[in-house]
Amino acid sequence: MRGAVTTLKKELLSYAVSPVSWIIAFLFYLIRGSEVSNLVYYFATFRADVNQFPAATYGVNSTFNMVLLVPGIVTMRCFAEERRSGSIETLMTAPLRDSEVVIGKWLAATVFFGLLWLPSVVLLHLMEYPDYFNADIAFGPVFSAYLGMFLLSGFLLAFGCFASSLTDNVLLAAIVTILFSGAMVNGRSILMQALGDWRDNYYARELLAKMDVQGNFSNWFARGLIDTSQVAFYLGGIGFFLFLTWTSLTSRRLA
Amino acid sequence: MLAFVVSATTLVYAVPRVLVRPRGLSCVAVGSVTCKGSLGYRVPTMIRVVDLTKRFGPTIAVDKVSFEIGRGEVVGFLGPNGAGKTTTIRVLTGYHPATSGLAEVAGFDVQKHSLDVRKHIGYLPQEVPIYPDLRVVEYLRYRAELKGVRGKERKLAVSRAMSKAGIEDVQRKLVGQVSHGYRQRVGLADALVANPPILVLDEPTSGLDPNQRRRIKQVVRELAAEHTVLFSSHILGEVQDVSSRVIVIHRGTIRADGEPDQLVQQSTRALLSVTARCAGALLREIVAVLPGVVVETIAITADEPEGGMASLSCHVEPGADPTLALGARLQAAAVAVQELKLELPTLEEYFYSITDGLDHRAEQAEQAEQAEDPEPQMAAVGDPAADAPMNEDPQLPKGAQ
Repeated sequence: MRGAVTTLKKELLSYAVSPVSWIIAFLFYLIRGSEVSNLVYYFATFRADVNQFPAATYGVNSTFNMVLLVPGIVTMRCFAEERRSGSIETLMTAPLRDSEVVIGKWLAATVFFGLLWLPSVVLLHLMEYPDYFNADIAFGPVFSAYLGMFLLSGFLLAFGCFASSLTDNVLLAAIVTILFSGAMVNGRSILMQALGDWRDNYYARELLAKMDVQGNFSNWFARGLIDTSQVAFYLGGIGFFLFLTWTSLTSRRLA
Repeated sequence: MLAFVVSATTLVYAVPRVLVRPRGLSCVAVGSVTCKGSLGYRVPTMIRVVDLTKRFGPTIAVDKVSFEIGRGEVVGFLGPNGAGKTTTIRVLTGYHPATSGLAEVAGFDVQKHSLDVRKHIGYLPQEVPIYPDLRVVEYLRYRAELKGVRGKERKLAVSRAMSKAGIEDVQRKLVGQVSHGYRQRVGLADALVANPPILVLDEPTSGLDPNQRRRIKQVVRELAAEHTVLFSSHILGEVQDVSSRVIVIHRGTIRADGEPDQLVQQSTRALLSVTARCAGALLREIVAVLPGVVVETIAITADEPEGGMASLSCHVEPGADPTLALGARLQAAAVAVQELKLELPTLEEYFYSITDGLDHRAEQAEQAEQAEDPEPQMAAVGDPAADAPMNEDPQLPKGAQ
């Protein structure tokens, strides 16, 4: 996995120097900061139960906007840009396995996504200060909520890597990923209607239940409940899309 | 349940491919096969290509190409644009798979041991694609790490590569901000950074100014002492300058392989021209009996009975030099010589004669044949062979580029 670590470091460096990353971070913190600030004001004014503050922060718009938009933007350059610029040739002729390239790039996108979320943990910790809210926040549910967010974002980022590996058009890769993310977040109700009588089928029901990202998050992960079948679904999805990405890259050598 | 199906599918496909993947530097010895090098003695073979074919759909880009390159050779890979140079190189570097045939680099099969092959190759692609948002030194450190150069050794390797490529003065600049020439040299430094035994340079001087070209050629000449170099180009002069041997590829097939000077002298006719104080007929008589002179090509270019001067030119068989014999015969016949010149062919002429020139002659021959014998042509209407475009030489691979 030496190659994966090297790729991870290089990709993180690229994220660090890319203006797109900074614009994403700026907009995210601006919007989320504003929303959380409103929440703090609400909790202070109406003397709401501050222990519910973490759960309230997950429900704000920026959470799902981030899940919808950011994976597509973060992963759009992964392979599409390499193909467009031709640097894929030097990458694929370097002595490292294709799987290491795929894992390195996906890990870098996931780490970058995680870094965007990190300050929100600090914010929750601030709520515990006696001079502030003196809240007694249970970090178990916080951990499970972040685990859920990590799994979901990892899943969408893996799809983003796959979409990016299919084209040399970064915009197309971003749009496909955003559409997929939209389908994962909001597509359940549309699919329910489209399936008609098939919705009673066991496999269709299971698939729809797993695809109910919002429901899974608010009913399970945000409440501190970890359903292993959901964890397996997301991990399996990550593995599946990374495998497809690897296949897409390797097919070049096997064509 | 679904999660189980997805995970199981991934494992069923991925695990066998990972486990079965051939690995091991130990299974094939580097340079275990030998070939005859440019200097005539046997050296370990670093690149071996046997009947290599690469198709892109119906187009044959490379057609049954075979050659060997020994350790320490600097081989120029010549060919016009679209001849199949880059495709052959991409197969050798593991970027494209071969359709059929064998390609070995440092003793490793390119198809089966791609990773080992890539460990032994430093590759400079035709268009140097590098990340514009990294600094030159950062990019080279990244590439060195990717190629397995570790720790303190990496720092040394990067500075050595930068020194060889002459890019130390731009090391802190963003790659996107350096000129095309420097970018090409950054690509060269990348190829050198892991100090691989084999360097594959695909048109390293394209788009460079004369000074930059000179610099790159000098670097390649210096590299010859430590590396085996396959140097692709369509600029004949620079190949002649740096290569001890050339391989000429055209329309996907190898047209020539050997030392540049020998190839030119052995395969292309030189032009003999003589001006002497005598009648044209006498001059022709003297020249026609000389060994190596192609009698059919003798042409009297000037014959002035009043002035008593005549000029003649003719072709001479490859390798032959009849000037001394001609001088002696003219002296014996008491003919005063004003000018006697043997114009040796250039690599450029030779290159033309075996690439486009050959195609042109084949085309002309075909046209002449059709003009002389129109009946079979008419009879062959509907025959797929007769429907082929006229510029397709039956000797050449159809559709080859």
